[in-house]
Amino acid sequence: MTIKPLKLIISGPVGAGKTTFISTLSQTSTVNTDELASEDIGKATTTVAMDFGTLDLDGIPLYLFGTPGQERFDFMWEILCDGALGMIVLVAGNVPKDFPYAKKILDFVTSRIPIPFIVAVTRQDLPRVWEPEEVADYFGLDQEQVIGLVATNKDSNITALTALISLIERDLSDQT
Amino acid sequence: MTRQEEIQALIDKLRSLVPDIIGVLVGSSDGLAIAQSLSNIDGNRVAAMAATALGLGRRIVESLNAGTFSETSVTGSEGQIFVYNAGTKGVLAVMVGKNANIGLVHLEARDIAKAIAGVLG
Repeated sequence: MTIKPLKLIISGPVGAGKTTFISTLSQTSTVNTDELASEDIGKATTTVAMDFGTLDLDGIPLYLFGTPGQERFDFMWEILCDGALGMIVLVAGNVPKDFPYAKKILDFVTSRIPIPFIVAVTRQDLPRVWEPEEVADYFGLDQEQVIGLVATNKDSNITALTALISLIERDLSDQT
Repeated sequence: MTRQEEIQALIDKLRSLVPDIIGVLVGSSDGLAIAQSLSNIDGNRVAAMAATALGLGRRIVESLNAGTFSETSVTGSEGQIFVYNAGTKGVLAVMVGKNANIGLVHLEARDIAKAIAGVLG
């Protein structure tokens, strides 16, 4: 029997590391839609449509769909979230000014489709960075729903995926 | 002339060359409006969507090994929108009603898209 792939959404503000997260994890060549950034957003390119990557995690096939970070592309959030079973919202731990916007994305998606999610605080390799515990307090979430990671580090990204999948599994068993 | 005025002049030229065109927008490839000739449509929204269509179109062409991306289109019962590559930094979106002469639209819009690419550098 083939297992149906889990569709997961990777979202969050611009510069949080969504594209990096997916390209670090994907076992197939990723689809990315980076275009030159015409504003100063702290990096040269930005995602305008989506990122897509796939991987197999302990026998479960995962499809990762990354959203664009900038608000003007919010129409893509709804399109990409259709049929998704879980979401990871990435926030850069050293850019607290983006936290309210991350909260907005979270509310936007979960008010339309109530899916399990975790918040991942990226750039944990930097010296001055918000800890996951502090971010959990900010978002009013359980500690287990907030994870710290470094988007270029595959193992830390897998930890985030594993945390999300156990939330999804718990959600499914609650329903039955 | 500023860059924006140059692009506005190209948009006006395109509209005068092809009367079937009912709206034109030039945006940056990352979705910000640069200049436009639209009525009753939010240009910022069109700019973001045009950039999304451009980005996705480019990646599809790449995946198919189909050469360099030129344009993509969306068709509805009452009209069509064409999204043209305008260099690495820009996108040109052209709206027409139904029964428009599409051949003429492409003929002129592709030239204008090239000129816009030149202006944007």
